[in-house]
Amino acid sequence: MKIKVDLDACLQHGQCVIAAPEIFSFDDDGNLQWKAAPDEALRDDAEAAADACPEQAIIVE
Amino acid sequence: MPSDVQSNTSLPFLDVSDPAFSIRSQAVAKARDGSWCARTPYGLAVLRYDDVQKMLRHPKMRQGSYRWPSHNDVTGNFARWWENMLLSQEGNDHARLRRMANPAFSPKLITSLKPRFEELANRLIDDFAPRGECDFIAEFTEPYATGVICDLLGLPIEKWRDLADIAGDMGLALGVTFKQDLPRIEAATQRIFAYAEELVEHRRKEPSDDFIGTLVKANQDRSQLSDQELLDMIVLAIFGGIDTTRNQLGLAMVTFIEHPDQWALLGDNPDLARAAVEEVMRVRPTITWVTREATEAFTYNDLQIPQGTTVHLFSQSAGSDPAEFPNAEFDITAKRSPHFGFGGGTHHCLGHFIARGDMTEALKLLARRLKNPRFNGNAKWLPDSGNTGAVTLPIAFDQA
Repeated sequence: MKIKVDLDACLQHGQCVIAAPEIFSFDDDGNLQWKAAPDEALRDDAEAAADACPEQAIIVE
Repeated sequence: MPSDVQSNTSLPFLDVSDPAFSIRSQAVAKARDGSWCARTPYGLAVLRYDDVQKMLRHPKMRQGSYRWPSHNDVTGNFARWWENMLLSQEGNDHARLRRMANPAFSPKLITSLKPRFEELANRLIDDFAPRGECDFIAEFTEPYATGVICDLLGLPIEKWRDLADIAGDMGLALGVTFKQDLPRIEAATQRIFAYAEELVEHRRKEPSDDFIGTLVKANQDRSQLSDQELLDMIVLAIFGGIDTTRNQLGLAMVTFIEHPDQWALLGDNPDLARAAVEEVMRVRPTITWVTREATEAFTYNDLQIPQGTTVHLFSQSAGSDPAEFPNAEFDITAKRSPHFGFGGGTHHCLGHFIARGDMTEALKLLARRLKNPRFNGNAKWLPDSGNTGAVTLPIAFDQA
């Protein structure tokens, strides 16, 4: 599984951090970090995060 | 040395608690020209686009509207619910509740509902179109917003009138006349909780996979979702979906009546409907401010903001800020920076996909079928601040 985030669209709401905290997080400066190739077991979470993103900036492959 | 919010009398003061105060007044524009913020009876108001954007997701801010009842010196059932529901929660409890609610509002689900939105909108327009006039709120936005929520949440459509009345009365709590309207608000709150209890009881007997059925299942394990949280969430989903969309669609019609060329353009180009929703929400958001509260003292733009300060981010004022929108005139073809009509950050509006989807379909059909809409008598308005909108909106039009 691969995760891509369109940072031009991302407004850093952090809905992905709520939906999939094992994949997405904010660093100390408030910038979004994510695992680009998380374990397949996290697919449901990844898709929940993509769905929850208000800007639809997350692509799960 | 940075100065303190309350003692800094060089900051402009806006009496937003006065029901006659208008968030679109010259006083606000003038305050914004001279200062990034103003003092208000509730705390601080942030007026400029750039600062609203920064404050919306500031790490030293939490959601602040949980204080709204206490700012208005109000207690009771509405206040109890408001101070405890999803929007007022933070941290782990907020994340747990939000994760539970998200699937019912996913964009995939909404796409599949589009034909139903269209059917409902057409049916409502059919009813009044031959007359060439209507009360746009009573005959369109109210039954439409309520019908969509009934559909989404699996509630019987026959219940729409009752739910629309309840949502309208509860919505009075989010304006500056909260305290004087309290008896109506409390009566409506009591009715909606009685209805939520009825729904839960029904779903416990007959399990279902819809929004309420799913919450009822989660509630079997009380540590996942308590009885009170279950009811609070159902009430939020019903109330939140009806009141805001009803008001926002009314504001859309008002904006287009004031810009007839834009309405004609939309009628000829239905693909502009999606952008039209965003543009309406930039210039006339029903939610005219989004609330935050400082979780600790900090300094911003040389101003000391004490812990506990309520900060109202003026979405209305930010959306017309000339520094961000040099050509701020309503234009559904313009490329715009994002508006703040759905708030932002952790508490970004849960129902925005459905709101965007149902308003897009509605505007598309309305612009195609109602030509040359115009005001037709006196509209009745909520105060032009807080959550605003028309209560009645008589319009006339030519049938296409």
